[in-house]
Amino acid sequence: MRIIRKVNLTVVILFLTIFSLGVIYPLVYVVSAAFSPGNSIASLNIIPFADGFTTQHFTHLFTNTKYLTWFKNTLIIATSTSALTILVASLGAYVFSRFNFAVKKSMMMAMLILQIFPSFVGMIAIYVILLRIGGLDQLWGLVLVYLAGNIPYNTWMVKSYIDTISKSLDESARIDGANHLTIFWKIILPIAKPIIIFLGISSFTAPWMDFIFPKMVLRSADKQTLALGLFSFVTDKKNDFTTFAAGALLVAIPFIIFFIISQKTMVTSFGGAAVKE
Amino acid sequence: MGTRLKEDGSSKKQLLITSILFMGLGHLVYLKQSIKGAIFAAIEIIMLCMLPTIIVKINGLITLGSPHPELPVKLREHSIFMLIDGVMILAVVILFFALYYISIRSALSDYKDFCIEKKLKGNRASMSGLLGKAFPVFGLAPTVGLIVFFVIVPLVFAACAAFTNYSAPKHIPPNNTVDWVGFDNFAAMFGGDATWTTALGRVALWTLVWAILATFTCYFGGMIMAVVLLDNKLKIAPLFRGIFILPYAVPSVVSMLVWQNLLNGSFGTVNRTLMQFGIIDKAIPWLSDPWLAKFTVVMINLWAGFPYFMLLITGTMTAISADLFEAAKIDGAGRFQLFRKITLPLVLYQTMPLIIMSFTHNINNFGAIFFLTGGDPKVADSTITSAGGTDILVTWIYNLTINLSKYNYASVLAIMIFVILAPFAIFQFRRTKSYKEGEL
Repeated sequence: MRIIRKVNLTVVILFLTIFSLGVIYPLVYVVSAAFSPGNSIASLNIIPFADGFTTQHFTHLFTNTKYLTWFKNTLIIATSTSALTILVASLGAYVFSRFNFAVKKSMMMAMLILQIFPSFVGMIAIYVILLRIGGLDQLWGLVLVYLAGNIPYNTWMVKSYIDTISKSLDESARIDGANHLTIFWKIILPIAKPIIIFLGISSFTAPWMDFIFPKMVLRSADKQTLALGLFSFVTDKKNDFTTFAAGALLVAIPFIIFFIISQKTMVTSFGGAAVKE
Repeated sequence: MGTRLKEDGSSKKQLLITSILFMGLGHLVYLKQSIKGAIFAAIEIIMLCMLPTIIVKINGLITLGSPHPELPVKLREHSIFMLIDGVMILAVVILFFALYYISIRSALSDYKDFCIEKKLKGNRASMSGLLGKAFPVFGLAPTVGLIVFFVIVPLVFAACAAFTNYSAPKHIPPNNTVDWVGFDNFAAMFGGDATWTTALGRVALWTLVWAILATFTCYFGGMIMAVVLLDNKLKIAPLFRGIFILPYAVPSVVSMLVWQNLLNGSFGTVNRTLMQFGIIDKAIPWLSDPWLAKFTVVMINLWAGFPYFMLLITGTMTAISADLFEAAKIDGAGRFQLFRKITLPLVLYQTMPLIIMSFTHNINNFGAIFFLTGGDPKVADSTITSAGGTDILVTWIYNLTINLSKYNYASVLAIMIFVILAPFAIFQFRRTKSYKEGEL
């Protein structure tokens, strides 16, 4: 800090500018590659946007590849995973938070330990189980895998949040004759909205770029997801970097816009999460 | 001995015996809850009908099938199906006994209510109990079902596979059967087989070094940026913050694949740029030299990971009360002292759980390695073990499963990851609020 005090503001700004150029360089290069003629990264000029401008890669994506199908599949998977995760995890969290039963402690402990495994450790077994229930090469098979993988950690997360909601609310509703399901649906869920939204977003975004499970579960050309499709552009066999860049750009832009908008909320919620601990 | 219960609680033993005798019998005979009792009884009847299957499957789990080279491949016994079926049946049996236990407890608790209220609840009242006392069972049913069949069964299967010889080329069903081999795989990995032992030592050490370096570079990189941006009262700080957040916003598969292309030794843009400017004469092997590749993955991970900690630390720093700084300033503290004695300890204390989480995440950080280097470059033992210079345990598991079909060794690694990470999980559990308050 002493050094920073000594150097003047312009040096700080210079440092920040150089640093941000380094940070942003690969991203700018992808944007430029998406609009540059040619295919391989080897043929691209080292200076971004120096090769001219073309939208042919986007046309190529929509006419010659199954980009739209990939997008549709991924959207279906992400939406269903998100909705089901919210439903199952929050219901489980409500039970864990509000009821006392014999095996509660061991179940919660088990879930905490289970969430440390990357789910592809059990890949072979999941493959065989899906094979047995006809879930291979089906979008719903993949949704089931994601859903099960999401539950242990997220149930914990929502449970901690519901723990902070006062139990007197439940009590008064019960006196008014509400059953557990009504209390959960009408009282707990609306109050737990912030964490539910967070859960919805995080389980919605994860499937977009997951690679291993789609690769294992989805086989036919009509069932591919975006990550698989994009990866196929830049394998060892071919280097179609510009098409990859165009496709990646179309996925990344909504993500980036969303992140920039929610930057402020995220700073507060991250900070809040840390302080609460 | 009639089917009427005494109100003084003396029929407890009678009810307990009936309930243990057959699931739901206590509900049917004594508590007059025909629907609930029938459901329980039906479950037991189904289980009894399945008994032959259960015995066959459990037997299959023990023997894993016997080789029948004389039969066509399709008709031979498939050891892996037998192993997974056996594990699933075991799970079903355990769930059944759990349900049995629940049914007995429900009968006893209904009897307790009867002793107090002096009248039986009958069907309707006990069914409304589905949303009452039995609510946890229904609320947790989807959770338990999914976790058991898609998380626990696969993990138990993986753990079992570590004790079999399930590996290419000799033991891949359906052509051949798989057998239990006890601790042979562990013996081979820990000293028995020199090549595998060296590879395991190398990969395990690098996994730890990687996780520590990745966490610390990102944490302190993020902290420097947070401090610089907050401390200098820059008008354009939000602009810089907006730029620095970008790597975090881009999906990591995309950014890692981009870096892989940019850093490619022969045609990558980074090398071509450096050569054009005359900074270097020949291409730098960013991703193909074992040591340089290790350095590169840590650096690229810093690029992708510092924004998270920058956001986090900015959040915690702005939450520190300004009074603290005022008081310290009055006592004559300089800016460096303020940072070292107030900001740093507070931020460290508050973000410690997230540092630990980030460490465990990095141990399992498949994407950062796989999409950037694919575990390459090849080193001396790579052709036999498939573990490259930058492979960490999880990516090695992937290689062993997908490329080499050495499922037995892959499972040994999975158990190792468990041994490394379980203490962290337990530590996290112990410091949760509900544990501390004695609720659990």
